[in-house]
Amino acid sequence: MGHYYLRRTARVFVTIWLVASLSFGLIRLLPGGPFTLLRANLLRQGVPASEVDARIANLQNIRPNAPLWEQYFDYMFAAAQGNLGTSISLDEPVSQVIAEAVPWTVFIVLVSTILIFVFGILLGAIQAYWEGSRFDQLVSGVSITLMSVPFYVVAVLALFVFAYQFGWFPPAGTIGPTVEPGLTPEFVLSALKHAVLPIFSYTITGIGGQALAMRGNSIQVLGNDYVEVARLRGLSDRRIATRYVARNAILPLYTGFLLLLGFRLGGTVILEQIFSYPGLGYYMWSALESNDYPLMMGTFLVITIALVIGVYIADLTYGIIDPRISRGETDAY
Amino acid sequence: MTTTSDQLHRPRDGVSDPILEVKNAKVTYDGGETYVLDNVTFSIERNEILGVVGESGSGKSMLASALLDAIPAPGHLSGEVLYHPDQNTTVDVLEFTDSELMEYRWAEVSMVFQGAMSSFNPTMKVGAHFKDTLKAHNRVVPEGLDFARELLSDLYLDPERVLDSYPHELSGGMQQRALIALSLLLEPEVLVMDEPTAALDLLMQRSILLLLEEIKEKYDVTMVFITHDLPLVASLADRMAVMYAFELVEAGPRDQIIGDSGHPYTRALLNSTPNIDAPLEDMQPIPGKSPAPVNVPAGCSYADRCPLATDTCRQDDPVFEDIGDGHIVACHHWQQATEEIELTFNQDEGGESVEGELR
Repeated sequence: MGHYYLRRTARVFVTIWLVASLSFGLIRLLPGGPFTLLRANLLRQGVPASEVDARIANLQNIRPNAPLWEQYFDYMFAAAQGNLGTSISLDEPVSQVIAEAVPWTVFIVLVSTILIFVFGILLGAIQAYWEGSRFDQLVSGVSITLMSVPFYVVAVLALFVFAYQFGWFPPAGTIGPTVEPGLTPEFVLSALKHAVLPIFSYTITGIGGQALAMRGNSIQVLGNDYVEVARLRGLSDRRIATRYVARNAILPLYTGFLLLLGFRLGGTVILEQIFSYPGLGYYMWSALESNDYPLMMGTFLVITIALVIGVYIADLTYGIIDPRISRGETDAY
Repeated sequence: MTTTSDQLHRPRDGVSDPILEVKNAKVTYDGGETYVLDNVTFSIERNEILGVVGESGSGKSMLASALLDAIPAPGHLSGEVLYHPDQNTTVDVLEFTDSELMEYRWAEVSMVFQGAMSSFNPTMKVGAHFKDTLKAHNRVVPEGLDFARELLSDLYLDPERVLDSYPHELSGGMQQRALIALSLLLEPEVLVMDEPTAALDLLMQRSILLLLEEIKEKYDVTMVFITHDLPLVASLADRMAVMYAFELVEAGPRDQIIGDSGHPYTRALLNSTPNIDAPLEDMQPIPGKSPAPVNVPAGCSYADRCPLATDTCRQDDPVFEDIGDGHIVACHHWQQATEEIELTFNQDEGGESVEGELR
């Protein structure tokens, strides 16, 4: 059993290392190389030619003239110590930019994913219970429709209707310009107000899929002999619904929940762009636009880590919530 | 069709002290269009083992569910299911309120489903199933669990280990025995077993049968053993009933059914039973296939496959005739059948040959 945890944890680091290496390599492969444009920009800004290389080295933790493998080791060692370099466009340490952006992204993604699962599971369970009813048909239809609508379409529509037409919600930012960060009611209210539309867009387009998945799982579980046996044994409907049906129907969704969480942490680029919400995705986009390589690589790395950790937690905890999956007894993974 | 049942009233089927009586039980789907149990009437003697045999899709499981008034929706059960807790009391199971029905099921008549592997909730320990059952019936949990341990020991299981295991941690045979213990937890009078050994290997089937006999002696429980495996149940049952196409076609004492069966179907079923000792040419499959639940033919439903069928068979549904010793058969030509259809089944081994599997 210990072996499994050990190997699984080692795999986390190996994966992160591989992705970091890959993004390092890919950026070196960009046409023109990462430094050509940078050097041109610095020169245009009036930085003396003699200082340019030092500035670049300072920005990226790399010596532009060193062999590639030395640059690679420099970068990896610095990254391992949490030093991701300095952002070119923002002139701030990348780690600081990311540290400020991540909480907002996590907030939006976590809230919307939890909402998706709570409502999806509830709706799907009720649908399964009333399988074939008008409610079931209606919800299935709406679910499929919402599943087919991309979240950014909902986001743009919501922005247009609720922010610009009705003016109920602010169209951009994480908090109002006059609000001081801190645990004050104004701050919380302002943060919520700014987050409502992004969370809404993510949630409304995700519920349908989960509801359908939960509906399918529940109907499958309801058809199992052990549900019928439990009924014959005289168990109350409530006990059967929660312990015999819901639990077994939700289990397969759990991995999906953590995976979705991980994916969405890295996939907020478009959403945050639409709402000008300065989270991780927002900075990643601006890094791409301004050829800000240190920031780009930093955001890539954080996104990778988020996904890898999501899968890691799912793997480690699934054995606890589902007794059938025991840890370490198989090499099936 | 009601004449069928009138022909089968006590004591003509040899039952003097029935614990359960089923009268004209019909199970229909599609608002009465589809019959999956057609006018079945029979009774179960107190403390006997009744074996019900029939091929797949002959309505055996429906019969089992009917005894507990547990036909899966949207099926509809009509007729009468009479329960006699003692000789002088009669209650109609189909008239029960929900709470009476809840108490009747499992506490009076309990059931072992086919496939023990799917009868336990895979994410709950086996012991939790026992506790749930005790709580649902307002029993004292510690005492109930003590009884459960006794039952498990009687079934040659290690009680502590089994109660503390998840279903998947037990072998198929252990799960089956644990399920039998669970079904006996509330000390029911009747235990209905629907293909309890179908998923087990031959050795395990045999040992479960031996255990069932011990359990029956110790706990005075009446057993209904439903199976497609004729030789298997023949070694266990006191009386047997044969089902074909959602109807009962023959019932009687075990030896009569095996050695002197009157219905051509029963005889064909016996002859079709594979036996490791029987030469291949002696095994005779029954030609044709059994009718679907929709538009069951008029007259005898076996007529299409029966070598003795005449125009009478195709027009008139045969009624039960008493052919002696509580042996009843629904066939116009039972005398002819006993004379003309020779039993190739080896009777000496009839009760024993567990190997003779219909698989």
